[in-house]
Amino acid sequence: MVETSSIGLFALADKRLQWLGARQGVLAENVANADTPGWKSRDLKPFSAVLAQSMSGQRLDLASVPTQTNTMHMAGTLSGENGAQQLRDERAPDGNEVSLDKELEKIAQTDTDHETVTAIYHKYIGMFKEALGR
Amino acid sequence: MDLDKALAISASGMQAQSTRLRVIAENLANQDTTGGKPGADPYRRKTVTFADQIDRSTGGPQVVAKRIDTDKSAFPQRYDPSHPAANADGYVSTPNVNSFVEVMDMREAQRSYSANLQVMQVTRSLLTRAIEILK
Repeated sequence: MVETSSIGLFALADKRLQWLGARQGVLAENVANADTPGWKSRDLKPFSAVLAQSMSGQRLDLASVPTQTNTMHMAGTLSGENGAQQLRDERAPDGNEVSLDKELEKIAQTDTDHETVTAIYHKYIGMFKEALGR
Repeated sequence: MDLDKALAISASGMQAQSTRLRVIAENLANQDTTGGKPGADPYRRKTVTFADQIDRSTGGPQVVAKRIDTDKSAFPQRYDPSHPAANADGYVSTPNVNSFVEVMDMREAQRSYSANLQVMQVTRSLLTRAIEILK
């Protein structure tokens, strides 16, 4: 029996899917709070940063960080790295900073990435099946 | 599981927007409701405020329509001495509901609702695809 998580590509796909799932949760929260006063849009650390961290032996840390809304703001010191930095130009009078179209665009991106990863996963499994002659 | 949580959040968002729509419907329906007695107050417009909170049963975040407040703005006055609610000077207080504002709010609620629905659909397709790995 082969442990799939010990095979490089499966392990990578696993991490990526985990990240995408977590991100979908964060983005769904942003959209649901599109009318909540004072709600700041959030996002996960980019996958490359998370991956680099987990490569150096640490656990996959998916903690979300607030998005930097203005380059003039000081970067947070808590998370170590900066989260996905993005300039936001819109801010409602009630302090809400969610831009629905940006969030939906990110969700579409998550959907596409998820599709890509699962397709690669399928293909890879197909190769194994082929090698095993099944 | 994160995707289940995402579904729950979207659902709570939709529920909050439905509450908002209900209040808007109430405002619109009552936009001509004056008081019954002379000098009585007419219908006062209601407003909804959303807030994020943690769902106690699942431990996940969710959105709720936290408060339903009333709009404190002054009632517009209309001169109509024959009206049963007219005061001593012949003026009737009418509800502080502006149908244009309500319709704009309604549009916004509708858009937010469908945005949540869309997120839900994407989350569902993510889930389905994850299940399909098993095949």
